[in-house]
Amino acid sequence: MNNLSPLISARSLTRQYRRGAEVVKALDGVDLDIRAGEMLAVTGPSGSGKTTLINLLSCLDAPTSGELSVAGRRVDGLPESELVAARRGVLGFVFQKFHLLPTLTVAENVELPLLFLRRPADRAETLRVLETVGLAERADHRPGEISGGQMQRTAIARALLAKPSILIADEPTGNLDKANGEAVIALFRKLVTETGITVILSTHNERHAAACDRILALEDGRIKTAGALHS
Amino acid sequence: MNFGNLALKNLWRRPVRTGLTVLGVALAVAVAVSLGGFNLGYKRAISNSIERLGFQVMIMAKGCPYEAATMMLKGGTGLLYLPEDTKAKIETDASVSSITPIFVGVAEKEASSIRDDAAKSFAIVNGIERESFVTMKPWVRFQGGAGYDGGRWFSDTAETEIVLGFEVAEYEQRKVGDDFYMTVTPNGAVAPVQHKFKVVGVLERTGSQDDGGVFVPLKTAQKLFGRANELTIVGVKLKEFSGVKLREFEGRWLKLPEVQVVSLEQVKGTLVSLVGTAQAMIAAVALIAVVVAAIGVMNSIVMSVYERTGEIGVMKAVGASRADIFRLVWLETLLLCVVAGAAGCLLAVVGSGAVEGVIRRLIDLGVSDSLVLITPALLGAAMLGAVVLGLVTGIWPAWRAASLHPVEAIREGE
Repeated sequence: MNNLSPLISARSLTRQYRRGAEVVKALDGVDLDIRAGEMLAVTGPSGSGKTTLINLLSCLDAPTSGELSVAGRRVDGLPESELVAARRGVLGFVFQKFHLLPTLTVAENVELPLLFLRRPADRAETLRVLETVGLAERADHRPGEISGGQMQRTAIARALLAKPSILIADEPTGNLDKANGEAVIALFRKLVTETGITVILSTHNERHAAACDRILALEDGRIKTAGALHS
Repeated sequence: MNFGNLALKNLWRRPVRTGLTVLGVALAVAVAVSLGGFNLGYKRAISNSIERLGFQVMIMAKGCPYEAATMMLKGGTGLLYLPEDTKAKIETDASVSSITPIFVGVAEKEASSIRDDAAKSFAIVNGIERESFVTMKPWVRFQGGAGYDGGRWFSDTAETEIVLGFEVAEYEQRKVGDDFYMTVTPNGAVAPVQHKFKVVGVLERTGSQDDGGVFVPLKTAQKLFGRANELTIVGVKLKEFSGVKLREFEGRWLKLPEVQVVSLEQVKGTLVSLVGTAQAMIAAVALIAVVVAAIGVMNSIVMSVYERTGEIGVMKAVGASRADIFRLVWLETLLLCVVAGAAGCLLAVVGSGAVEGVIRRLIDLGVSDSLVLITPALLGAAMLGAVVLGLVTGIWPAWRAASLHPVEAIREGE
């Protein structure tokens, strides 16, 4: 993969589900290229296929048909065990619900992915990442002792520690108030600018989507509009 | 951070549920260890009691082997008697190392006791041949100290001298030089006859049936009970004690019409079988306890997995493989069972005295030694059992957690 190649490339990406006897097409022939260092917003009404697309791009789910390459690797048709390998160290995740372990400290929660990547934790590096999200002074607190916005920033730090090239955030501001939501989007923008990481986020919030480089609007599993907002 | 650390912290999230599950398993382990300890202790107690008899083989009148076994260890009374010349006949056997005749009878203790509740008590009277008895039991010693000094055996012809076992002397508060009264109804007579003896010695505690008996010369006992030339037991020590030698000895003497030969091993087997049913019942209870505990462990871990569905989904998203999740949940189950196993072992060790007290109250076991013997090997086996329990019960919850699809798990968690 060279610098001109897209970091993520999807062709005719389709995902069908079976609901009883009915087959539901959650995503229907999506073509998409995402470049390194891009901040992309995926928008659309509920049921439009946002989360399905995010799950496929995250290698958390496999497409029914179509081609998908992530960081230069074809991932369509891979079994779950290989999808895990494809995610490791390449993709970082932030979810609407923070899913922090309540018995671990903020720093330990951030270091959790390293356990599964079989990498030793370096507390100095953890504190540096926490500094990036503005939580260094909360490293030894437990999730129950910090606010919702701080919990989401902890989740972002957790996603960043393994130095992924792509950060995928599914409704990252859905559980946050306006101020905290905007702080998280500003943080994403800062990360893209300072580290060159690619950020893909799904959102219902037009202001948050407008803060991204590009918006991909979905409707009934198809791309409705795709356009660059910023150069 | 490592898997063990994370598993421990996960268990600690629900301290009450984890604590109750640990308690359930610990109780099951404690019951199992106590039962195992009882099994070992009882066998040891029987062996010790039999060894303290001094002889390996008992010749007695034909009858119930269970009664023989009980009499051998508890000093009970045999209702059947042997002709006295049996001893002389058996003494000619070349395989016999030493031999002692014993007459056992029961005397009433109504007239002499200083206690009100002793009005209807009994004394086990052992008529012995002093020299051969002492040869058979060289460890028997007389108590010393104020009131006990100068203790000695009687002569074989003494008619009014008596030696008391430790417990009898303590119960009756008799010392050397005191009077000791016994009332005996001789064979064939209707009216009881009271006899007065002089205590010439009090034995030290032996931990055997001898502690609960009194000793008089063989001839004196036979005369008291109106059974001249009769014996209850002939104790025999063989020069070489083995299964083959014993069978050969039995073969030679079972031909006598009035004799049964009861060996140490037979008595052990008989006494073990006496409590076999009770042990089987306790084992069944222990097994049920273990099964219930196993279900409790599974339930606890499955609940924990269910509550953490979203977190497990996120762990998978950030790089955990199926094997990682399986390992984590399996480790949690294992840790829970290991902690419970250790607590159960501790509980069994601390509570073994209480367990023994209950067992003794429920069942007459016929031995005086400690009945619960908890050995390091037993504790090791219990810990191994706890590990196996953890490994087995953890498989299904761990497999269930590992099988969660990350997308569905995260969605369920939200």
